[in-house]
Amino acid sequence: MKTVDLVERIEGEAKLICSWKNNKVSDARIDFLNFRGFEYILEEKSPLDALIYTPRICGICGQAHLKATVEALENIYENINEKIEISNKAKLLRQIGLNIEIIDSHIKWFYLFIMPDIIKLNSSDLGIYAPLKGKRWLEACKTASETIKALAIIGGQWPHTSYMNVGGVMSDPTRMDLINMQNYLQIAIDFFEDSVSGVSLEDYLSFDSLNDLEKLDKDMKYFKDLCFKYHLNVYGKSHNRFISLAESNLFRSGKIKQKIVNKIDLSKIAESNEYTFSLNEKENISKKHTWSKLVTYNDNFFETGPLARAIISNRRFIKELHKSFDDSVFTRVMARVDEMAFLINDTKSLISQIDLLENSFIKPKISLNDIEKASGLSVVEACRGSLYHKIDIENGKIKAYDVITPTVWNLGPSNKKEKGIAQKAIIGSPNIEIAKIVLRSFDVCSVCTTH
Amino acid sequence: MNEKKPTVVWFSAITCNGNTHSLLSSNSSKFELFLKNFDFIYHGSLTIDKSLEDIIKNQEQIDFLLVEGAISSNQKFFTTSNDSTKNILEKLVQKSKYLIAVGSCASFGGIHAKFTQNDDVCGLKDAIEEENKKKLKHPIINLSGCPVHPEWIFQTLFSLKNFKEISLDDEGRPKELYGTLAHHGCTRNEYFEWKIEGNFGQKEGCLFYNQGCRAPMTHSSCNKILWNDINSKTRAGMPCIGCTEVDFPRNNMLETKKNMGIPLEVPLGISKRAYLSISGVAKTFKIDRLHKKLME
Repeated sequence: MKTVDLVERIEGEAKLICSWKNNKVSDARIDFLNFRGFEYILEEKSPLDALIYTPRICGICGQAHLKATVEALENIYENINEKIEISNKAKLLRQIGLNIEIIDSHIKWFYLFIMPDIIKLNSSDLGIYAPLKGKRWLEACKTASETIKALAIIGGQWPHTSYMNVGGVMSDPTRMDLINMQNYLQIAIDFFEDSVSGVSLEDYLSFDSLNDLEKLDKDMKYFKDLCFKYHLNVYGKSHNRFISLAESNLFRSGKIKQKIVNKIDLSKIAESNEYTFSLNEKENISKKHTWSKLVTYNDNFFETGPLARAIISNRRFIKELHKSFDDSVFTRVMARVDEMAFLINDTKSLISQIDLLENSFIKPKISLNDIEKASGLSVVEACRGSLYHKIDIENGKIKAYDVITPTVWNLGPSNKKEKGIAQKAIIGSPNIEIAKIVLRSFDVCSVCTTH
Repeated sequence: MNEKKPTVVWFSAITCNGNTHSLLSSNSSKFELFLKNFDFIYHGSLTIDKSLEDIIKNQEQIDFLLVEGAISSNQKFFTTSNDSTKNILEKLVQKSKYLIAVGSCASFGGIHAKFTQNDDVCGLKDAIEEENKKKLKHPIINLSGCPVHPEWIFQTLFSLKNFKEISLDDEGRPKELYGTLAHHGCTRNEYFEWKIEGNFGQKEGCLFYNQGCRAPMTHSSCNKILWNDINSKTRAGMPCIGCTEVDFPRNNMLETKKNMGIPLEVPLGISKRAYLSISGVAKTFKIDRLHKKLME
């Protein structure tokens, strides 16, 4: 038997096609049928205009795209041996902006996209988690909108600011601005302690064993109990291989396939169009079924995202959960919520490291519009995992722009050799509700996947 | 509160969901007030009671149809809920009293209209058949902006709820929200008046002269109704990129096009000659205060 379901309440929409055998999913395919053509739109544009365009690939992770663009453009200078100086202050302000956006995204994802489905497994009465009505749903929304103000202080607004520019950042905060940012982050900490985990942030950050699961209270406890009741600690397992491309204060880069290797060679990343629709109608033969490309590292599929980051960066609580429950729905969701705690804590510390006397922006000596031919690339850890941008410029214009989003790693189609990450995870699900939750556990962003 | 609350349906077409996240980043008291006064029955990312198919099949009228994203009839590039965005929109419009475009893509096509291989991407006004437009109680309202300011959505909905109509400019935008320029209320106005140029990464100076700031040519209330309750792009140091206007996105948005050192485009409503004269005079005033750092 085959079923086709539309999955809404992700960022955008996907089509989930499942084959069933003995009341279990025996095969799964995910189709993304919406394509906006950003890579084509960017051709022939002025390189700096990419700073305006690429954040608009996605309404929720625009800062990740912005940071990827600005760093790929700066990499062009390095590649032509033109020295370009970025102050530490600018680097910090970029990372802080990105972190705040990830915190905002994780809060929304857990409460708006995950909890309503998990609770529906148990009863149709969502209570405080009911969308648009429930007390906690509204609190989560409020917390996200307060937290994002910390980013608006340096970006002028959110979503869709382009405050990062080649040479630094455009804003120049005052000390009071920084204090204000800390205060908005405190609202996220209070919410985490009072409603998400039910324990103090300090206690939570010290969790390092399976027994610590028992200390959880509030929504994480509720989530955990429902997961165990409905076996979400068993469902959703994929290849158990992880990749994280970019480094930050909090994250290490590396990959894991049995053991962790901390050296990443970006040239081993390969994108394929084999199953992806083409602009040229004649090429759209029957095996092409989605607008998502597929991406491999050294010819293997790897899962990217908070779970990959937690394991590669050696965050002990999640590593312990992973030892017992592998890459299940439970571990994957817990990794994302766990990351929220670490990010809030880390971001507060980054803000305190800013030296206001440094320059925010140092103008590059030559303009990108005057560069005859060069390329640049960058990697950034975004909400949903590793994001890769590559820009080729010719005669001062963008010749080609390649974006590989985290969701392409996780949600792209299978190849001849093996199943894609989310596909493999969905196989074995006992019903469509669970299959959709497994899909959702990857924090699906349809708009990023196809871009 | 026995009176039946007006229904709101949000349809996401060709979009990045930026307007949805703008709505979710609104002032939370205002957001809750909105939810109390309106029956927000469908949003593809937020609600769980009904599917888009339920909304289309249901006999009931929609009071306010909000559309995020551009529209296309081309199903090769863009299919949502097994149909083209244009077909779904036409079905929804026939059931709706008011049609509101949230964001520049829904208003004018925006960034997505730049994907020329999909050759009929456009805003609502160009997408909807004339006979269906006539069924609406009010001309289409364009809340342009990339993204739209959430407060502009609330003010428009509450105005329509109470007064049934709203005064629009030539581009279909509410005059009260788009009658003034983004320049209005910018904290850098004094630098503009005395023609003092700014640089990126500084609190001081005006971004109109070199950084491509479009605030004196852009209809919006970004500096009057602040973003996220606290700030605006130009206040923070980012030039206005004119995202509420029909021609967004333009080329070379982060630089000011000039001829012999003079901006090619001058503030709206001023002749270039008059602008040059007044600039010349303004520049003769050497106001020390404005040439110094605001704080050391």
